[in-house]
Amino acid sequence: MQDKLNYFRKATLSLKISEFEVPPMQDLLIIGKKAPIGPEAVKRMAQALSPEQFTIVKLDHAKIEAVLIRNSILQMLDERLLMQIIMEEADRLISDNMVLRSELKISVSVQREVELS
Amino acid sequence: MKVAEFMSSPVYTVSSERGVQFVSDMMNELKIGSLVVTDHGSIVGIITSRDIRSSHPNRIAADAMTPNPISISPDRFAWDALEVMEQHCIERLLVTHEEQAIGIVTRVALQGKLNQIVDPLTGLYRAPYIQHIGEHFLNRHQHFRLLFIDLNNFGEINKFHGHPVGDDFLVEFSNRLRTITNEQDYVCRYAGDEFIVITCRNENDAMQLEAALSQPVVIQNVTLSASVGIINGYLVPDFFSLSFRELISRASLLSTSLKQKSFA
Repeated sequence: MQDKLNYFRKATLSLKISEFEVPPMQDLLIIGKKAPIGPEAVKRMAQALSPEQFTIVKLDHAKIEAVLIRNSILQMLDERLLMQIIMEEADRLISDNMVLRSELKISVSVQREVELS
Repeated sequence: MKVAEFMSSPVYTVSSERGVQFVSDMMNELKIGSLVVTDHGSIVGIITSRDIRSSHPNRIAADAMTPNPISISPDRFAWDALEVMEQHCIERLLVTHEEQAIGIVTRVALQGKLNQIVDPLTGLYRAPYIQHIGEHFLNRHQHFRLLFIDLNNFGEINKFHGHPVGDDFLVEFSNRLRTITNEQDYVCRYAGDEFIVITCRNENDAMQLEAALSQPVVIQNVTLSASVGIINGYLVPDFFSLSFRELISRASLLSTSLKQKSFA
């Protein structure tokens, strides 16, 4: 009886609020072959969150199944060259059950010489 | 022996957005090994228990399935379905009629049934196979040539070299048949040392096949020849009013008469 009188339950709530970035992925998602989310699901997610802004590129690689990439990047760089770089760099980090998120910025520097009249 | 006789139906479908765990539960509940994956009513793939085992449980069916499933018509022969599965290294074929999935055939089911009509010595199909093919063509009024091949002096080979050597000859001859025939030919070991080939080749190609079959072959330093009785469907009046049994009888009698002539 004594125990019952001293018994109580309480809950403590902790609330953290931050802005949800749209889209939550940056420029690239590198999808492992046994990752919890596959290329088709990623494609549908990207299409729902940012319509027509991302493309899925399927790869023939031991660990990587596909790469989701922002279309604007593909317009700036050749797809094959880009995939080669991504595969080389990601290969050292990724295991086949991971999904990696990556930011890719391209800066172009131009220097020209012109004839002075 | 048509695909329709071996297929399991109805076909159960699952939407491509469903999770692998859901698909697995559904298969267990239905006690089946595969489901057809659809997207807005269209078939986009097939998902099997093997696909489920090799996929992360969080994935959706679209990411675990085998896309663009290979299909076959219910009117095709069971051996054609088996050949398609062997070509593509797959265990299941979708059976479709007018773009609708009406069933699924598995390699295990077909293989089990077809093994009953395969000759264990030579690996060729036996008489019921050629019976089905011949009747099928007759029913469809499709011309063909029937070649009844009877090995000459096969009894002597058995007598002088023993039956195991005779068996070796049958195997070698069957392999030769496989080599010289193509997808327009249907081959079977009809009985002991008799084989039947049904061919749908054109005139020239058929004559080449007939010539190749009539050529003696040397196996283990012994010359083996055959008497080939040929029924050419294009030349037989009322060909389609004859039974397949009658065609075989005529071809075998022709082969016997050729044999008698060659030894006269």
